[in-house]
Amino acid sequence: MQSFFQTLVSGLSFGAVYSLIALGFSLVYRTMGLVNFAHGAVLMTGAYLASTFYLSARLPFAVAVPAAVLATGVVGLLIERVLRPLESKDVDLMLIGTIGAGTVLEAVAILIWTSSGRGVPSPVRAAPLDVGGVRIPVYNLVVIAVAAVTMVLLTLFLQRTKRGAAMQAVAMDPEAATAVGIHVGRSNAVAFAIGAGLAALAGSLASPMLFVSPTMGDSLGIQGFAAAILGGFGSIPGAIVGGLGIGVIGSFAAQWFQGYSDLVTFVVFTVLVMVRPTGVFGEKTVNRA
Amino acid sequence: MNRLFAARRPLGLAALAIVAWVLPYRLNVYWISVADTALLFALLAVGLGLVMGIAGQVNLAQVAFFGVGAYGVGILTTAHGFGFWLAALLAMVAAVCAGLVVGLPALRVQSHYLGIVTLGLAVAFLDWVTNAPVTGGDSGLSGIPTPPLFGVGLSSQYLYYYLELIVLAAGLAFGYFVVRTSLGRRLRAMRDDALAAGAAGAEIRVLRMIAFVLASVYGGAAGVLYAGLIHYIAPETFSIADMFLLLAMVIIGGRQSLWGCVVGAIGLTVAQQELINLAAYAQLGYGMLVVAVVVFAPTGLAGVPSRVRRWRLRRWSGISAAALGSFSGVPSSGRTGAVLEVSGLVMRFRGVIALDRVSLRAEPGEILGIVGPNGSGKTTLFNVISGLYRPSGGRVDLDGRVISGSRPWRISHHGVARTFQHLRLFGNLTVLDNVRMAMDRTRSWWSWRYVFWPVGVWRHERELSRQAGAVLDAFGLAAFAGALPHSLPYGIQRRVEIARAMASAPRLLLLDEPAAGLNGDEQRQLAEIVRAIRASGVTVVLIEHNMGLVMSLCDRVVVLDSGAVIASGVPASVAAQPAVLEAYLGTTTLPSEAS
Amino acid sequence: MSTLVVENLAVRYGGVSAVRSVSFTVPPGESVGLIGANGAGKTSTLRALMGLVPRAAGTARFGDRDLGKVPARHMVRLGIGYVPEGRHVFAGLPVEKNLLLGAYASKWDSSCRARLSEVYDLFPVLGQMRGRLAGALSGGQQQMLAIGRALMARPVLLLLDEPSMGLSPKLVEVICSALQRLRAEGLSLLLVEQNAMLTFEVTGECLVLENGSVAMTGTSAALRDDPRVRKIYLGL
Repeated sequence: MQSFFQTLVSGLSFGAVYSLIALGFSLVYRTMGLVNFAHGAVLMTGAYLASTFYLSARLPFAVAVPAAVLATGVVGLLIERVLRPLESKDVDLMLIGTIGAGTVLEAVAILIWTSSGRGVPSPVRAAPLDVGGVRIPVYNLVVIAVAAVTMVLLTLFLQRTKRGAAMQAVAMDPEAATAVGIHVGRSNAVAFAIGAGLAALAGSLASPMLFVSPTMGDSLGIQGFAAAILGGFGSIPGAIVGGLGIGVIGSFAAQWFQGYSDLVTFVVFTVLVMVRPTGVFGEKTVNRA
Repeated sequence: MNRLFAARRPLGLAALAIVAWVLPYRLNVYWISVADTALLFALLAVGLGLVMGIAGQVNLAQVAFFGVGAYGVGILTTAHGFGFWLAALLAMVAAVCAGLVVGLPALRVQSHYLGIVTLGLAVAFLDWVTNAPVTGGDSGLSGIPTPPLFGVGLSSQYLYYYLELIVLAAGLAFGYFVVRTSLGRRLRAMRDDALAAGAAGAEIRVLRMIAFVLASVYGGAAGVLYAGLIHYIAPETFSIADMFLLLAMVIIGGRQSLWGCVVGAIGLTVAQQELINLAAYAQLGYGMLVVAVVVFAPTGLAGVPSRVRRWRLRRWSGISAAALGSFSGVPSSGRTGAVLEVSGLVMRFRGVIALDRVSLRAEPGEILGIVGPNGSGKTTLFNVISGLYRPSGGRVDLDGRVISGSRPWRISHHGVARTFQHLRLFGNLTVLDNVRMAMDRTRSWWSWRYVFWPVGVWRHERELSRQAGAVLDAFGLAAFAGALPHSLPYGIQRRVEIARAMASAPRLLLLDEPAAGLNGDEQRQLAEIVRAIRASGVTVVLIEHNMGLVMSLCDRVVVLDSGAVIASGVPASVAAQPAVLEAYLGTTTLPSEAS
Repeated sequence: MSTLVVENLAVRYGGVSAVRSVSFTVPPGESVGLIGANGAGKTSTLRALMGLVPRAAGTARFGDRDLGKVPARHMVRLGIGYVPEGRHVFAGLPVEKNLLLGAYASKWDSSCRARLSEVYDLFPVLGQMRGRLAGALSGGQQQMLAIGRALMARPVLLLLDEPSMGLSPKLVEVICSALQRLRAEGLSLLLVEQNAMLTFEVTGECLVLENGSVAMTGTSAALRDDPRVRKIYLGL
């Protein structure tokens, strides 16, 4: 029973990370209709920047992470600007464009930080909590807390601010949004930057839990993407549910299937997508030919 | 000018073949190994080009097919002592099975969803390969035997080069054979406009599976050859990074062109090998190149010649509309028109009732007009009849057979053809190909002939071309046969769409606003064409807003308003009905005619 | 106070001439209707004015501003409001948020709130449904929402594209009286409609379009009794 909860807790903290990744995907998809295959690489960039600020520049972790998020947000703005001409054209081309952007980011990371990767020590010095025999590393709780706060802030931004409402409006109807005076291109750029920031936050938070390497974004990106789809692409509560779900599934899969956890997760995910492509909360995308 | 081009190609091919054959003699050991690797990637790239560029299916699992082929051979030879070629055959079968598995999601989702699912499956494969004991895990499998050919062991890289070259040449030849004939045409039509392709009789789901199977065959073959070449396989060869490199090859080379894929593959492999010490810079380079190509030159290197040609043509006016021939009657198909019976049709979208118990009937040899104000459900009606929507209630019968709820391709094969309100021609297919595609009435399972009876395919192709030529002549479009739709004036594109619809020898023709955007002359020609179609016995149902045209052309008219039939009958009588006037002009008492 | 002056406007979509040549003016405080059968070019005219589709030829001026040089998102700043064909409300957002977005170009302050109550006064049902998602509203309610949203920016000229489409006669009445009230308050209207009768009630002057050109013009009162209008619509 203890081991069950242990696995669950671990799954939840990874799930929090996946939720952030999924949120970033969902936000960009909802506002721009774009599936960003560079999301994983952006995540990796955030992780490397945070670890560099923390380890090399010796900034406190709580400063390194926001700094990394901001810097990566700028990278996001750059990617959006380059790919903007494709925005209303071929979806497949845009997909491939983001793959290219991701490849570029990965190459730059290797050039700057080499491909050997690095471990990041946990910034929390306290001993793990012991709750009824279940060991909970304090840092895991920090991650869950930060993720939760971020989601609340994001929800507040989207629901309570003018810009947030505008961003949603653009997603629903770009032309009507233009008619009321919203700059669609700028709104999309901000959405993309926020999406990138979320990925960077996820990567930064995950860096003490995982090994930071230029290819860390591949697997994490796909997991986050799967989480977004499962919860329903374009839905924020969906991203949360999907993220936690993938985290927990992955955790138990790792427990029971050891190395095959990725495989199990993806087979499960593929079957789910085929049965219900809309995910738990999302919109229909199935075509009838 | 064209004849010179035509002579160039076989000469160019011959020269290329000679160069390729003689090449190994000039290469040292390092370069021959690069060449061997390049040819393998070329084969992989052709497979990816077929599924992504020709069929339009996003496939990020190509590297997994590569892996299945390689690991299949590896496991069967090292662990079970199979001979190389038997193992290769079984590995190919495994690769095709993998192709079917990866293709299944494509039946439900497309584009980015498909991308993530195929990528996920590739990661799952990689995961299995890294962990399963049978694959040797991280350390991989070594000691894979060399394939024997005519008793000679192909351990020499030079000899292996020739094996690969022959396989690649065969692969390319087959690839072009597919692309240039009916299967390829259907795949390309599906890529350009799956909706219109379905309405023209293409079995979309089967075609998607065929595309993935093709990709897996090429991928598996490359994997088999790879195992026999290197004698050692490990998970790192089949990584996601390699998948993206492969994707870059296809994009930069030009995914819609098979030789472009080959050029991209060879180019990037050579560049990668040369820059092996600057691997990160190489990756940076090809990543940036992919972004640049996607934004500025989406058709890749292979698309450059035609872009240059088009840029030059901009100075010259191109084919002028005056080349439009006159319409000379519909070639008789010997089929009689069908009776269309719509009974109590209901269509609901999320609570909105788009069609409210619509009933109507159209007979052979008559032109039925469907009219009504904006948003009254006319196109929805057509979409239900042609199978794009399954009705919420009621039914549609064609000659007594129920067609409502059937898939668009099946309805097309029953003899229904249509045009669309917003012109849906296959943009990357020539006018001739647009017509040939619709003309092709074979079912998808007929494709087995490609492997077992290619002569049959060839003969069918010649027959199609002959008949398509006849249709183009009849519609006066012969001069435009080789043109791409977007280069033609709008009125001519409209006529091409009608010719394409008629090419399938339909018994029921649905025309959705065929006169939209046409000027007076073009409208007259359209009326002439529609009358001739009716005279040939086909049942014609026509949606139009141009009431003048409707009045003069239609034998009977049905008026829809808010999804319901509010009047039907002879045009003159319908136009006088108060309900109709209200629907169009609005409520309030209307002035009586002062006459 | 600005006059809208349109001269020889032409619009083409990929080779199709949707509008061949249309000219008209809308003086301040006046209402003009563009009517005609479908495909006549009415919607295209409006969209070209808004800058949502490019003009192939002709000019459009509002006061001393050349509309051809104004991007679509700045139209609202000039005082031009737009009610698109098919409503196009922000379906996933609540009614009140939809209305507030109409005032995006200005601050969401007390004067904005005042405007909001004015809109609720014009369309009471919107006030009752202010918390509901716009996508859950009926067609007529969505139409009121679309008009209300455009009014939030305090426009001086309102462009409406087929507001009666898909509405029952009763709802058309409601829209009709709302438009008449707005007109009485001094708002200029450019109304594109297939429903000729509604247009005659609401506007002072009308143009009848056919195949992208102006077939007839006249005061609404005169056109209402003119049998030629029916002929143009029904192709007789």
